[in-house]
Amino acid sequence: MLPIRKQNHGSPTVGRRFLSLTVVGLLLGTGASAQSPQGVPDISHMSIEELMNVEVTSVAKRPQRLADAAAAIFVITQEDIRRSGAASIPEALQMVPGLEVVRIDENKWAIGSRGFNGRFDNKLLVLIDGRSVYTPLFSGVYWNVQDVMLEDVDRIEVIRGPGATLWGANAVDGVINIITKPAQATQGGLVTAEGGTEERTAESVRYGGKLGNSAFYRIYSKYFEWEPSIDATGKAAHDGWNAVRAGFRVDTKSSGPNALTVQGDLYDSDYKETLTIPSLNPPYSSMFANDGDYAGGNLLGRWNHSFSRSSTTLQVYFDRTNVLDNSLFTDHESVYDIDFQHDIHVGESQELVWGMGYRSIQDSNGSSFTVSLQPNHSSLNQFSSFLQDEVSFFDRRLRVTLGSKFEHNDFTGFEFQPNVRVLANIGKNQSVWAATSRAVRTPALTEEGLRLNEAVVPPGAPPFFSPLPVVEAIFGSTQFKSEDLLAYEFGYRVQVAKSVSLDIATFYNNYSNLRSAEPGQPFVEGSPAPTDVVYPFVASNKMGGGTYGVEPFVEWKVLPKWRLLGSYSYLQMDIAKNKNSLDPTADNPDGQSPKHQFFVQSSIDLPKHFEQDLSLRYVDSLPSLNIPSYYSLDFHLGWRPGTHWEFSLVGHDLLNSRHLEFIPEFINTTPTEVQRTVSGRIAWKF
Amino acid sequence: MRYLRLTIAALLCMSLASGGANAQSADSSESSEYLIKAGFIYNFAQLVQWPPAAFAQPDSPIVIGILGVDPFGELIDRVVQNKKLDGRSLIVKRLKRGASLKECSILFVSSSEAAHLEEVLQSTKGLPILTIGEIPGFAVRGGIINLTLEGNRVRFEVNIEAAKQANLNISSRLLALARIVPQSADGKRSE
Repeated sequence: MLPIRKQNHGSPTVGRRFLSLTVVGLLLGTGASAQSPQGVPDISHMSIEELMNVEVTSVAKRPQRLADAAAAIFVITQEDIRRSGAASIPEALQMVPGLEVVRIDENKWAIGSRGFNGRFDNKLLVLIDGRSVYTPLFSGVYWNVQDVMLEDVDRIEVIRGPGATLWGANAVDGVINIITKPAQATQGGLVTAEGGTEERTAESVRYGGKLGNSAFYRIYSKYFEWEPSIDATGKAAHDGWNAVRAGFRVDTKSSGPNALTVQGDLYDSDYKETLTIPSLNPPYSSMFANDGDYAGGNLLGRWNHSFSRSSTTLQVYFDRTNVLDNSLFTDHESVYDIDFQHDIHVGESQELVWGMGYRSIQDSNGSSFTVSLQPNHSSLNQFSSFLQDEVSFFDRRLRVTLGSKFEHNDFTGFEFQPNVRVLANIGKNQSVWAATSRAVRTPALTEEGLRLNEAVVPPGAPPFFSPLPVVEAIFGSTQFKSEDLLAYEFGYRVQVAKSVSLDIATFYNNYSNLRSAEPGQPFVEGSPAPTDVVYPFVASNKMGGGTYGVEPFVEWKVLPKWRLLGSYSYLQMDIAKNKNSLDPTADNPDGQSPKHQFFVQSSIDLPKHFEQDLSLRYVDSLPSLNIPSYYSLDFHLGWRPGTHWEFSLVGHDLLNSRHLEFIPEFINTTPTEVQRTVSGRIAWKF
Repeated sequence: MRYLRLTIAALLCMSLASGGANAQSADSSESSEYLIKAGFIYNFAQLVQWPPAAFAQPDSPIVIGILGVDPFGELIDRVVQNKKLDGRSLIVKRLKRGASLKECSILFVSSSEAAHLEEVLQSTKGLPILTIGEIPGFAVRGGIINLTLEGNRVRFEVNIEAAKQANLNISSRLLALARIVPQSADGKRSE
């Protein structure tokens, strides 16, 4: 799927995909450009009253044409999700150029943008319907609990590169914005059932209706269970999981200037893993089958009010996450967030957006010998505001966007994150854009107060030859500062021919104050018994360097019913510790993200309502993890006889019987192998 | 956790039980702005009456002209293709600035023409052409219908005075949904 089909307003297909937040969120749900001609819905039967009720944007801020976005953006439409056969959000993200999406075990993922990938990747911001799901605990995302009813997703917008000016700290290397359809677009019932090898049995139900004359609602529930995968020796692993989830969304009819949305979800997920933790007693480490549980819920309200030349949005949400892993760590986190935003049209060539927000985070946690966090209860406050102005010149052929986020957090105080973006349309079919931005990744609770016992070296063993056991432990530090990024981006889009378009994004990222682990003064610890020596590694900011890359993307409509997509991602990381760093670990994170990746997809609409999709993905080796490169071939065959039924057959990873994709950092869970799977799915709409 | 599961099971049952009836919807997953706007234009064609003299033949087509850079692409063609209104088919023509607008029944003025608005509106003056724009102030400056985005929805403004001058009769149903705007003093002066 190609986010950018043409370069200016004049193109036949442009305008079908839009950006909502100046450079970020795409606005109009549309899969139109991505789908076959018969896939464009016939709206000519809709009355003008009905058309007035259709929401063409969902997550606030003003619309901007995708082709006019001065950012590297990719949009996964509902149609793309359906045709990929993806059963989870991470699977759907695998098609995005410039993203690294790998599975650690059945219930753990590592997802990163433009490098620094890991289970605890801390430079990617993820939002679901405007709610940030980035946990302040470790500055990352619990991918296993970020789920929605995939059929209700309108689109997933992925921005590679910083989005900090609008989204705030931590939108350093990318923003993933998952946007569900408004309730009026999901009226009626839907039941799905899915079953397959290895994985999954999954069922979901959704029903949407009207609340009187003034609002629409939907409620949904889904359940899935994934069977264990296999370990490196080919034996069944201990990594199965299941999750149950339910939620609702209510949207008012928009006959007046006010629009109100209220939505919420509840979930519970049990997971299994094989965990290795250190111990002070022989054999100083133990590996065992561990079970845990994630549960939580959220509630969000959004009110939009339109004036003649401006609009305001007020959004409030509450999000609760409970992590219960009794062998390792328990955490209860509550986030309260309020955001206000005002969009103003100033004259004909200027658009101004400003906003402010406050977020309160309450965390309480319980420790184990392996992981502990001080304090056990903490309360954080974040204040933010932003201002961004877009001015266009020469009949909107040149646009300049200037803005900054101003934030205050409890760790590092005031943070300033400006950007400037320029886009120029050259003739009808080409555009170039360039951007310079600063983004920061603010410290997580763990970086200030963590103690993680990584390993225990037995008495007398190298490298310490100590008479006492030596605990190698990672410590947070109140001295830890924000990580900094200065990003320079450049992009080019061209409609090569009527059926071929090309989008190239390049970047150079200059990082400073990246996290390192500096050795501290060893000390003797008497409790818990037996007495041991602690060899500390303390979080510090003594690493930096540059990364650069190129991400071309091509879409070719070979025939009206046959579409080919291709993308390639090149990433070079030159990250090194500063000269004054004593961090003894391997030099840098360079070898944990693939240098080369490509993705090719063919989508064909066959006669008699059949559709067939085939995609091939290549992921380069990860030298520092000893993971070889691999190809992954996925297959989807769908049949939609009439409007009520859909049948599909999906094959994942057909070229390999099994392969390893990643080895997790920090927490030593045993990675498992991704297997070839075949699954079938039935959906019934009524 | 067990409690949560029970709750969810109950929800499932409820949602199944409530199924069936009145479950039709416009699935707006493809609610692209210009698809919706194309739908508006098709609706406008049904809710506006042209004077008989506006058409050479009883079956002359309704010509939708798109002036300037075209934001619709094939979307608008698909919406109107094979459709008939009072025996007239609808056809879409892309026009460059300066082209003759006389054969148009509907003229969509692209935002690319914002700087030349006065010129465009002068050239349609007195002709039975339903001018539609998406330029701030389009209707106030003498265009008939201006499409706007308010929050997440498409809205429109109507300049009744301009419609009268074009000898077009706009249905009350359309007017009831519109924001009625007056012609600006500037617009009057330019007449």
